[in-house]
Amino acid sequence: MQLKNIDRGGAILAVAVMAVLPLVFDSRYLMGVLTVAAIYGIWSVSWDFMSGLTGRENFGHSLFIGVGAYAAGFLNTLWGANAWWSLPAGMAAAVVFALIMGIPTLRLKGPYFALAMLSGAVIMQRLMLIFWEYTGGEEGINGIEPLIRSPLYFYWFVLGVLAFTVALLGGLARSRWGLILKAIRGDEATCQAAGLNVTYYKIASLVISAAFAGMGGALYAHYQLQVSPQLFAVVTSITIITMVYVGGMGSIYGAVGGALLLTLMTEMLRNFGEWRLMVYSVALILILFFLPRGLVAPTWNKMRQRWAGVKS
Amino acid sequence: MLEILIFGAVTSAIYAMLAVGFTLIFGVARILNLAHGSFYALGAYGAYVLTTIFKVPLLVAAPLVVIGVALFGMVVERVLIRPMRTSQLAVLMISLAVALVVEQALFLVFGSEYRNVPSFSDQKYVIGGVDVAGQRLLTLLVAVVSIGCLYLFIQKTRLGSAILAISQDPEAAQYMGIPSDRIFGVVMALSAGLAALAGIMAGPFLSVQPSMHLLPIVKAFAIVVVGGLGSIPGSIVAALMLGYAETLVAYGISTSWTEIVSVAATLLMLVLRPAGFFGKRAAF
Amino acid sequence: MSLLSVRNLNKRFGGLHAVKDVSLELRQGDILGILGPNGAGKTTLYNLLTGFIEPDSGEVLLDGQSLLGLPAHKVVGLGVARTFQLCRPFVGLTVLENVMVGSLGPRVPALDLEQRAYKLLDQVGLTGKAQSLSELLSYGDQRRLEIARALATEPRVLLLDEPFAGLGSGEIAALSTLIRDLHREQGLTIMLIEHKLREFMQLVSHVVAIDFGQVIGTGAPQEIVKNPKVIEAYIGKQEVDHAA
Repeated sequence: MQLKNIDRGGAILAVAVMAVLPLVFDSRYLMGVLTVAAIYGIWSVSWDFMSGLTGRENFGHSLFIGVGAYAAGFLNTLWGANAWWSLPAGMAAAVVFALIMGIPTLRLKGPYFALAMLSGAVIMQRLMLIFWEYTGGEEGINGIEPLIRSPLYFYWFVLGVLAFTVALLGGLARSRWGLILKAIRGDEATCQAAGLNVTYYKIASLVISAAFAGMGGALYAHYQLQVSPQLFAVVTSITIITMVYVGGMGSIYGAVGGALLLTLMTEMLRNFGEWRLMVYSVALILILFFLPRGLVAPTWNKMRQRWAGVKS
Repeated sequence: MLEILIFGAVTSAIYAMLAVGFTLIFGVARILNLAHGSFYALGAYGAYVLTTIFKVPLLVAAPLVVIGVALFGMVVERVLIRPMRTSQLAVLMISLAVALVVEQALFLVFGSEYRNVPSFSDQKYVIGGVDVAGQRLLTLLVAVVSIGCLYLFIQKTRLGSAILAISQDPEAAQYMGIPSDRIFGVVMALSAGLAALAGIMAGPFLSVQPSMHLLPIVKAFAIVVVGGLGSIPGSIVAALMLGYAETLVAYGISTSWTEIVSVAATLLMLVLRPAGFFGKRAAF
Repeated sequence: MSLLSVRNLNKRFGGLHAVKDVSLELRQGDILGILGPNGAGKTTLYNLLTGFIEPDSGEVLLDGQSLLGLPAHKVVGLGVARTFQLCRPFVGLTVLENVMVGSLGPRVPALDLEQRAYKLLDQVGLTGKAQSLSELLSYGDQRRLEIARALATEPRVLLLDEPFAGLGSGEIAALSTLIRDLHREQGLTIMLIEHKLREFMQLVSHVVAIDFGQVIGTGAPQEIVKNPKVIEAYIGKQEVDHAA
């Protein structure tokens, strides 16, 4: 069996299983958890596309998420727009911020770019609190309408968006785009010497990454039915990065696995209540030490090669 | 006006203590240690625990806490950071993870309410018509003395020269037989101890709660970028600039804007002058 | 006819006048050699020609068109390709992928990337290593990869920066043959910086000698070695092979 067909089969199977799971267990609760996991999946995949491929880790991804969510919130409550406008609005808002932040900071070296983006998210969080009269401050914006009233259909919609995101970004990653982004990770100056406009590709990939993150943020807003400054928190960004690490940097599809695993894990730890974030942080340390290549992608790689009859 | 002068100085002093340690470990080991704020937090909490729970007098507790946090810093560097030194980003992530673990641990043990750290001095002084708490003045004094001592240490002792050598040229230093690894541990200890001291001194009048590490680390990073990565004099100057900028904003506009000042300063600095004012290491 | 024209090029770094009033002509189909001791400003010259740094003054013309102020990737887009002194493979990509990236520039018509890459690898003799990770290649092979990658951009001019640095004598001979073959079969115009005099003199048709950022002599290889200024710049350096 060809590797490509194995991949495709695996993807279809995964989507089918995820779609059917809440029906099988007949659990509203599980559906909620999976919905959140799927949204985290969208966020993680979008992060992986830019940072995983180019190696320029962005510590402020929560900025794009929060901006998308708040755009949805404002549009839906203050302006009374139809909820479906939130999706393009969330994307647009995130893209704007990606350009604002990205253009000046993408020329910085690794850690400084990471921290500059982090600073951007922190500023935004602070601004939401300072201008509480317009943004609702700590409590944020409430009373957002659900996008689709039926939780099941909404869940399937989100799943569809996730599948679309993975297909699109994964496809880009396997195309010339991916090659160029990986080359940028290898050596930027040499990339320029090969005739490629490195700045353009860096900014473009950040914009694409942001667009999907913003859309995910809008979806989240219509799921939680409220948005708060907590969305901009460092913890959100770090959680996503951890999910991508677990999934396997640069694999795109691995991030979905990472999101699923970590979301489920935190739900199971719900009984431990306040220990969740602690477990997360320790898990991150352990992963950085022992599984730098991640869990999901390497495992899938081994399995698919065995099925294809190829010696790895 | 005098108020701003005095309070600005106190704020700058605390920032200077944090920034100097941060820039020191960067200058020597090229480590951007995001757990630096945790040392600050542990200093404050340590003082709280020893004095309130174990009833140890503050004068005894303070040095114990400083030494304890310094050792903790050494352990963190040795066990968690050193293995990751091949990648600056990995170090960044690990140190951030440590910071989060510490924050969560503090939260689990102490809860999220604000804690009271005792002051060395409860007296209030009046300077030129302005009420100043003795503790704040003492903080200023401690900052000046501790940074001064650190500076002398680096300039005058053999260990200090080794540290300078490594920060200028790590490879050459190794060829000279200087044990860089061991010195990283020492520098981390100094850096952590200084941060803990800042926490002990500032605890009484600044908020003590589990997430208190985040803003100081953002500010320390801002200061170090503005002052020039790896430059101690640069950090001091930048700390003064930031401290006074914040105080002016707090008095002139409102206190909620103060963090924006530091974070915006960092962003601007990174974008406009990545090497800072005095630094040799550019951010790109 | 002159393909690449450099006139009165100047570049200062603070107090250091790295490139001082340098002028040279590279004729179509030539192999021009740049000769000079370490620190003479040769790599800086390349950086100026290829858009990695901007000169303080002077002119660089490619077939009459000015290259000044153009970013590096645009210069490559006009047909000037270069290699680097220290090999810089794309870490994490295979040898084949390295060359494919080179084929993504504007001068290459959109077609089967892999096929084209294989052809280029064939030309430099790296076909067997196509799937290896580029950073694991031997130094000699990495040099070939550099050249293949540069060729992938469909250049009109190829600037080679010390291609023999760090190679053993066998590898040098092989690489030298490769360069000569490329020149002969494709009529490629080449500029070559090198230290190793013997191979250098056998490859180039003209030489420009540089020291302290200035041109100290030009001419055919046989004349240059007799040029007193060149000899002076090289006293004691002729024996020292550029061991990496």
